[in-house]
Amino acid sequence: MTLLRARDLYTDYPLDGEVVHALRGVSLEIGPGDYVAIAGPSGSGKSTLLHLLGGIDTPTAGSVELLGTPLERLSDRELTRLRLTKIGFVFQRFHLLPVLTAAENVELPMAEAGVPARERRERARDLLAYVGLAHRIRHRATQLSGGEMQRVAIARALANRPAVILADEPTGELDAATGREILELFRRLNADGMALVVVTHDEHLAAQARRRIHMLDGRISGTG
Amino acid sequence: MLAALRNLRRHPMRTGLALAGVAVTAAMLLDMVLLSRGIERSFERLLLGRGYQIRVSPKGTLPFDTEATLAGAAALRRTLEADPAVEAVGPFLGTSLHARRGDSLVTLFGYGIDPAAQALYQPEQGTDLEPGDTLGVLLSRPAAQAIGATIGDTVTLVGRLDPQTASAAVERRLVVRGLVRWLYDYRGQPSVGTVLPVMQDLAWQRAEDRVSAMVVRVREGADPEAVVERLRAAAPRVEVNSVAELVAHFRQRLVYFRQLSYILGTISLGVTVLLVATLMTITVNERLGEIATLRAIGIGRGSLVRGVLAESLALTVAGGTLGAGLGWATAEYLDRILTRFPGLPAAISFFVPEPRSLALAGATLLLTGVLAGAYPALLAARAPIAATLRAEAT
Repeated sequence: MTLLRARDLYTDYPLDGEVVHALRGVSLEIGPGDYVAIAGPSGSGKSTLLHLLGGIDTPTAGSVELLGTPLERLSDRELTRLRLTKIGFVFQRFHLLPVLTAAENVELPMAEAGVPARERRERARDLLAYVGLAHRIRHRATQLSGGEMQRVAIARALANRPAVILADEPTGELDAATGREILELFRRLNADGMALVVVTHDEHLAAQARRRIHMLDGRISGTG
Repeated sequence: MLAALRNLRRHPMRTGLALAGVAVTAAMLLDMVLLSRGIERSFERLLLGRGYQIRVSPKGTLPFDTEATLAGAAALRRTLEADPAVEAVGPFLGTSLHARRGDSLVTLFGYGIDPAAQALYQPEQGTDLEPGDTLGVLLSRPAAQAIGATIGDTVTLVGRLDPQTASAAVERRLVVRGLVRWLYDYRGQPSVGTVLPVMQDLAWQRAEDRVSAMVVRVREGADPEAVVERLRAAAPRVEVNSVAELVAHFRQRLVYFRQLSYILGTISLGVTVLLVATLMTITVNERLGEIATLRAIGIGRGSLVRGVLAESLALTVAGGTLGAGLGWATAEYLDRILTRFPGLPAAISFFVPEPRSLALAGATLLLTGVLAGAYPALLAARAPIAATLRAEAT
């Protein structure tokens, strides 16, 4: 069974009056429980590919299917709902809401999905305990360290029990020691059955993935 | 929604300044709303205060507008009272006179009234005059102070004073029965009142039985406008006006005043919209990365729009609440200044709250909050997710 399937993806976008060919015919399949690292130099199209896989951008040509559903056929509302319930995103800069507590940040996607208040409070507590932040539940995002913020972001990504987690440079803003904690968390998540697609420059992070995809100039230049 | 409200605390100084700005404009809006119809409402309340709905004055004049008088008051009164819908008619005469205080004279304003049918004063202390009490006098507090008299004292009123000889044609010694508040007096006006014949004597108006005007009260259930029409037909040589007509006259005189209020009120609303919209646009632009992330994790456009509108509304409501207090205090202060204008009845107020106008102003302010949040909300909803995240990463 295929979880995510990308077929012959092309993406062009304008930048400073010129057309950037970000992707030039990328095809990829990700199955349940997969752990894929996408590596490559800056500008090779890694993040663009991740955005297409997550339905936050549309390809110039080609198609993406999530659990057999072609994303290009979905309306904006349906795509938003799909991202809410089937995909978990983790970003380099965490982007937690600074005015909310750790628990409230985790509850946010659940509230949007209509999960009852009591259920989302319990699940947020469980998820924060899972990422090792049981003691920081009531702390505001601004009171957390970078590593803690990223762990809250991972808990938020898991809130609605997604089919896959897409992470864009999740250790990019962290020091080596904190980065290792995130690596360990990802390893544990995958061991628990979560499919992960991680865009990274981090050699260690790429090394622990089951599959590695190397990109160059918008194409897959190697796999391993 | 919770996040939207807490967002206001992200930049306390900026939010504080915006709140102050909204409060000032909301205060101005409130004052303009109170002012736009305040004096008119206040005037109407004053005229209807004692329950008399019709005024009769010399032809071509309005009560207290000129020194013209009506002759043959008793006959005119009988004519008016002949209408079955008329319950009471109260004639009154206003004149200037003097009172002796030691060797000097104090200038006063005098009212001649029928205590059984009067719309000019409110007793405050002591007793009221009886209809036939030709030996009693009522004083306003400023008059009592000016003469140096109190209840039970005897005062000497002087009428028809000859300025060449400083001698009076008429002098009456009267006993102070009570202190009253004359409803049409300006602040600090020293006024006295006697029964009508006494004041007519003092003003030398007794021979022709002259009065300044008359007030008419119609029976319960009768239509004052219909009674006015009948009284005009019955007494064609005098001016008959209902309070509603007098208020309409007054409104006509104040039309520019009201237009100015509307213009200033509209400007203050415009300033509120621009202020809140500018702040919210800056805020949304600052948070585009955060907004793109929220969209990426599946937060719908509707939720983002609601969040921005809630923030805008919260700012407007909080500023509006502060502004209401500020506007109220300003209105009180300005009212104290404006009602000191000479010749203006102290009972007139320029800033009068009306539930309907206040509700309308509140609703308009809320609408302003929504309007101010509309553009920034649209910005948030339309933020391109991938491009914004790309820009954030570089």
